[in-house]
Amino acid sequence: MGFKKFIKKVKHTLGLNDYAVEGKKKSLKDLLKKLNKRKRSINKALKNPLDKKEKKELKEELEIVCLQIKKGKKILHELYA
Amino acid sequence: MLKRILLPTILAILAYGFWISPDFKEIAAGVAIFLFGMISLEEGFKAFSGGTLEKILQKSTDKLYKSLGFGIITTTLMQSSSLVSVLTISFLGAGLIGLAQGIGIIFGANIGTTTGAWLIAGFGLKVKISAYAMPMLVFGVILIFQKSKSLKGLGYILAGLGFLFLGIHYMKEGFEAFKSVIDLSSYAIGGIKGLFIFTGIGIFATVVMQSSHATLVLIITALAAGQISYENALALAIGANIGTTITAILGAMSSNIVGKQLAGAHLIFNGVTGLIALLFLQQLMYLVDTISASVGIAHDDYTLKLAVFHTIFNVIGVVVMVPFIKSLVTFLESVLKPDHSKSNTGYDSARYLNDSVLELPATSMAAVIRETKHLYKNAFEIITHGLNLKRHNIASSLPLDEVVKDTYNTSAVNIDEFYQHKIKGIYGEIIDFSAKAQADMTPEDIEVLYQLKLANRDIVEAVKDTKHLQKNLIKYSQSTNPHIKEQYDLIRRDLAELLRNINTISYTDEEDLILLLLSKAKVHTEKYDILASGTIDTLIREGLISNEMATSLMNDSAYAYNISKNLIAMAEIIFTDRSTNAESIDEEMAMDAEDIEVILEKKDD
Repeated sequence: MGFKKFIKKVKHTLGLNDYAVEGKKKSLKDLLKKLNKRKRSINKALKNPLDKKEKKELKEELEIVCLQIKKGKKILHELYA
Repeated sequence: MLKRILLPTILAILAYGFWISPDFKEIAAGVAIFLFGMISLEEGFKAFSGGTLEKILQKSTDKLYKSLGFGIITTTLMQSSSLVSVLTISFLGAGLIGLAQGIGIIFGANIGTTTGAWLIAGFGLKVKISAYAMPMLVFGVILIFQKSKSLKGLGYILAGLGFLFLGIHYMKEGFEAFKSVIDLSSYAIGGIKGLFIFTGIGIFATVVMQSSHATLVLIITALAAGQISYENALALAIGANIGTTITAILGAMSSNIVGKQLAGAHLIFNGVTGLIALLFLQQLMYLVDTISASVGIAHDDYTLKLAVFHTIFNVIGVVVMVPFIKSLVTFLESVLKPDHSKSNTGYDSARYLNDSVLELPATSMAAVIRETKHLYKNAFEIITHGLNLKRHNIASSLPLDEVVKDTYNTSAVNIDEFYQHKIKGIYGEIIDFSAKAQADMTPEDIEVLYQLKLANRDIVEAVKDTKHLQKNLIKYSQSTNPHIKEQYDLIRRDLAELLRNINTISYTDEEDLILLLLSKAKVHTEKYDILASGTIDTLIREGLISNEMATSLMNDSAYAYNISKNLIAMAEIIFTDRSTNAESIDEEMAMDAEDIEVILEKKDD
């Protein structure tokens, strides 16, 4: 076994390679949690009587948040793959 | 003038000393090696600072006891209160900490520095220290030649310690040999006269060597060799403590006003502590004897007793001064005030960029980020006024339609003049400072700095586009033609919304909100394509606006589009979390052209 391969194996065994990835996963999970919470609050607000303008604005926000959640889940999925 | 005379005089005295005494040469070489070790040690610790420095500092200095602890621990580890004070000035200069926190660190550093006397008196003189020096030097120098920043830093620390030990060894040898030639203790001066003379010598020696540690080693080794009396050694230690403030004062000269205030606090603290020690020397000596006896230090072990004295008088200083920190801050802020001569001329200049900040890459980066925010604050003022809006309305929750109605002025503001006074100078200083800062940065840091430079360019471009936009905006937003007025008010409304969102982003740390507001802004920016939306065709076809109005509207909507693009790009750089994980996630989660299209398509449906 070459020296480089040995180092790679040791790093893998100790989980050192995943240190950065794990940090990223955690940050992303936190962000997704917050985005889901925001999605729920927008949906709740949409159930209230609103004028046309406010409703349009909230719907736009909801579209954006949904897209961000979808995007975040995709990144998270790739990190786990 | 003094500097010109001082250096040749010192060199001449040293040369004469070397000529008449080889032992003096050995002592002086020991001091020189020791000082070189300090420089190497400082270099090593600098390699390890950075990255998450800002967060560590904020967490470890938000309370007085924490900043005291931070000062004690860092000085104990680095064995240099001078380095800690210079770094603290650097943190202050970059705006990472406040003056009260800085004072806390300095007080802590004064306690931390006392560990040096214990190490030298308890360990340095009792074992053959040079035996440890040699391997440290060899390993240290090998590591210095490595590419890895951490290994290089470790190499500097090892080599630094090696040189420190070697320096102590030569000083010890020199004094022991010196004793057989001349007995310096016969020059001991007793009473108050001796006290003041030796305090003065301690101050002078520390000012020259710029290291109280080096003076203390010299005192302890001389004391161990019986070359100075115990009383005179105490006075020298008091002098060294006062003299050490010179490093902070020199460091603060290139700093901003807060750095100067901190150096003032350091001088006052060490001065007061020194005065207390001189006034109550007899009582302190009695206290030292009592404590020494209780912990088993021999009655004639003067070196360890000196270490006890050094610790006691610094702790007393902190205990006496801590209740007055707030008053000290108030006093220093009233005595050392910012220089308003520049601002009186109407020209704004950089607040955070100064040479003291260049000490560390992390402080340089923090200073550039803060300065960019300062530049944006000025740009916000001119963009808002250029759009004929009021700043306080933007920052409020007033409905945007009301914000647009409440105009700032009936005539155009002079954006050129404002640019010259409040933008150009700061922008130039940021670019100049960045060039200097990147010399000590890693490629990753240089990339971040490049992004920050782009953010600055975006701000400047947004100001310039506002200037072009303003001309027709003022004219048509007061027009009697309701259709063109409506279009220009729409531009003002959309830009007001963007400015409000950026204002919210600048104050919040909720990642999801930042992401949402930036995404929203990106989607709204696409609305400026007045040609694609068909608005302009409708207005022309129906004869609602003239050709001249139509071309103006087309050009100005392009300016508004550019202002939005630039401000969003800037906000993405300076208002998102700069910590590694969050930064890469922010980048990946940011909306791209494809995402915007998806949202716009859904809106059209």
